[in-house]
Amino acid sequence: MIKRSFFTLTKPRLSYDLVEPDPKESEPIPIPSNLTLLLNEPIDNTRQALIKKGDAVEKGEKLRLYNQSTEYTISPVAGTISAIDTYSDDFGSTSTYLVIKSNQGQTTQTNSITYDLKDDIASADEYFRTLPGAPPLKILASDDVKINTIVITCSDMDLLSTTNQYITLKFLDEIKEGAKVLKKITHVPKLCIMVPESLNVQGKFDSIQVFKTSMEYPSNLPAMILKDHLSMILPAGKAPEDMGVSFISAEAVVSLANAYKTKSAGFEKILTVIGKQGTQYRIKATIGTPLRKIFNAFNIHINEQDRIVIGGPMKGFATYTPHHPVQPDMDTVMIQDRDIIPELSDNPCVNCGNCIRICPANVPVNILVRYLEADQYEEAADKYDLESCIECGLCAYTCTARIPLYQYIRLGKHELFKLRALETAND
Amino acid sequence: MTNNKLTVSHAPFWHDGDSLFQMNLNIMIATLPAVIFGIIQFGAPAFGVLALSLSSAMVWELIMNVISKKKISIGDLDSAVIGLIFGMMLPATSPWWLVVTGTFVAVIIGKMIFGGIGANPFNPALVGMAFLMLSWKVFFDFDAAYVNYEFDFTALAPLAALKFQGAYEVAGVFPMSDLIMGKQVGAIGSTFGLGLIIGGIYLILRGYIRWEIPVSFIVGIIVTALAFSMANPDTYAGPVIHLFSGYTLIGAFFLATENSSSPVNRIPMLIYGFSAAVMIILMRNIGAYADGTVLAILLLNVVNPLIDIIRPKALGKGVNNA
Repeated sequence: MIKRSFFTLTKPRLSYDLVEPDPKESEPIPIPSNLTLLLNEPIDNTRQALIKKGDAVEKGEKLRLYNQSTEYTISPVAGTISAIDTYSDDFGSTSTYLVIKSNQGQTTQTNSITYDLKDDIASADEYFRTLPGAPPLKILASDDVKINTIVITCSDMDLLSTTNQYITLKFLDEIKEGAKVLKKITHVPKLCIMVPESLNVQGKFDSIQVFKTSMEYPSNLPAMILKDHLSMILPAGKAPEDMGVSFISAEAVVSLANAYKTKSAGFEKILTVIGKQGTQYRIKATIGTPLRKIFNAFNIHINEQDRIVIGGPMKGFATYTPHHPVQPDMDTVMIQDRDIIPELSDNPCVNCGNCIRICPANVPVNILVRYLEADQYEEAADKYDLESCIECGLCAYTCTARIPLYQYIRLGKHELFKLRALETAND
Repeated sequence: MTNNKLTVSHAPFWHDGDSLFQMNLNIMIATLPAVIFGIIQFGAPAFGVLALSLSSAMVWELIMNVISKKKISIGDLDSAVIGLIFGMMLPATSPWWLVVTGTFVAVIIGKMIFGGIGANPFNPALVGMAFLMLSWKVFFDFDAAYVNYEFDFTALAPLAALKFQGAYEVAGVFPMSDLIMGKQVGAIGSTFGLGLIIGGIYLILRGYIRWEIPVSFIVGIIVTALAFSMANPDTYAGPVIHLFSGYTLIGAFFLATENSSSPVNRIPMLIYGFSAAVMIILMRNIGAYADGTVLAILLLNVVNPLIDIIRPKALGKGVNNA
């Protein structure tokens, strides 16, 4: 954990981690006997489901809940579905999880189903949403938003994370190959690539335009990339997609290249695991592998009240179970010992101004938090720039009173959207 | 291991390690040079006043916590800081009841009834001080307070002397070196200018006070005092005596910078510090009080919410190209 320096005349600086030069190969984790897949659609008991407990599935088979479902997942192994149940995330929205019991030995490699693939985005969206790296194909294929710029992120979004940089170093050719595939299937006029300025690969992308991103957090976040490199100001409350810009991780590009080459889906997700002492492990695990298997492989003991953080220290989320599966978009897993978990408080804001000085979006966090504490979400958005927040987490990191500011802001946005949805429904 | 309960909370999962306790502890450390000098200068009574002030402030908060059935909050040292700074502004000869009454007003009326830490619109120590100054004016006559002391320097309170005799009479009586080194009569913690400056610079470097406020405050004192002095040098003294006597320096570094009652945006901070200083010189030169620091900063505390709305536009606000 990066602590406050003794002299803090200027605002604190947090830097992204740089991948080690010439990194080792990632260590493969054997395919476990039970895999868990998340499906972003709640179970509706009134409808007849397409899949049920006991069904046999093939490796690469597309699994959907209902006939009209647009959400799907792909089974990474051949086996049988041994459970289907409801999963609820930290904001209480529900989705579904499937447990698949693998019937293949850990050593025998069954081949994945090959798809009848065409060179267009609809066809890619049909099968490849859950590729490692989670390519944003749903958005790219959507008719509602027009994407005219795709940014490939070879930088990592959060501190400590180096997965995308590692992939950039190891799979440069595949990235170039995948960029061609992307261009071919999406026909976007502009394709660029963002690379950390200290990573020595900028010259190797042929004709693709390269953005060198600063090592200082939060310059890799989408809103900052838009501002610094594309000269666009993200309007409050809008997503980059609304501006016609889509971000795709380096890993997703690599997976797309491979998927188009083999006409089948890949399931090997590369992730960086950070142990309690800060030791980094680079591993390759099948999507759906419970995190517990990974911890066991490296003798990482999870004790009572430790914290498993998925994503990085600034923007990630904590899971309540070591059975949480490896997900297509999971780049980093960090384990915090209970002794180093910083304490939060219910102190009120003392107006020290640290958040104001560090906020990259000029949000008046000190006033905003007073409105959020009082559940005044509409006012918070109208007058105090709730929606301008780019969700970097720096305010809460630096808060003297240790108020969970970022959490208040995320909750505020969540409630605001609920309120607005309600208003639209009433109109 | 599967039955272990994990800690689940929300991002960010790191913190820079700072806390209210740390902040207030550092403010107390920063007062030490001035406080220790005050105790040496004014002896055991000064120590007594400081100790009583600090402890009674904490006790008032504790009592209020118990009465209002809230969590005990004295652990964050906020009322300790209020008590300490309040004590620094008292003469060493203050009677015990004056101290206890003052901290009552400071902590209970200045802070707790507004909702405790962070909610006070005024600097609590100044609320207590204003109350005492208006109610028992006689105890703040520093010339009378130290009548039984033997000093090896001019035992005249500089600002009072300036007020009643004019700049022409006091010229040369208070050399700058004496004022900076604390060779003047005044409150326990406000006479040692050098110590206050060292403490203030420490807090600025540690990031616990915002440099804009003390800097603009001092610039305000210098500019305004100089303007008056140039207009009429016989009546109005130059910036030196204003800067190094009375509550000016403790005001610049410890009073005006109180978090909750001061602005946080850069331009408002500059306006706030500068205006407070202008008000002080106006009060000293053409007002009724010898030292207007207390009332001037309280006045600017009132203005604070109005000027703190001058702030940079947030990202993506007011763009129409969406």
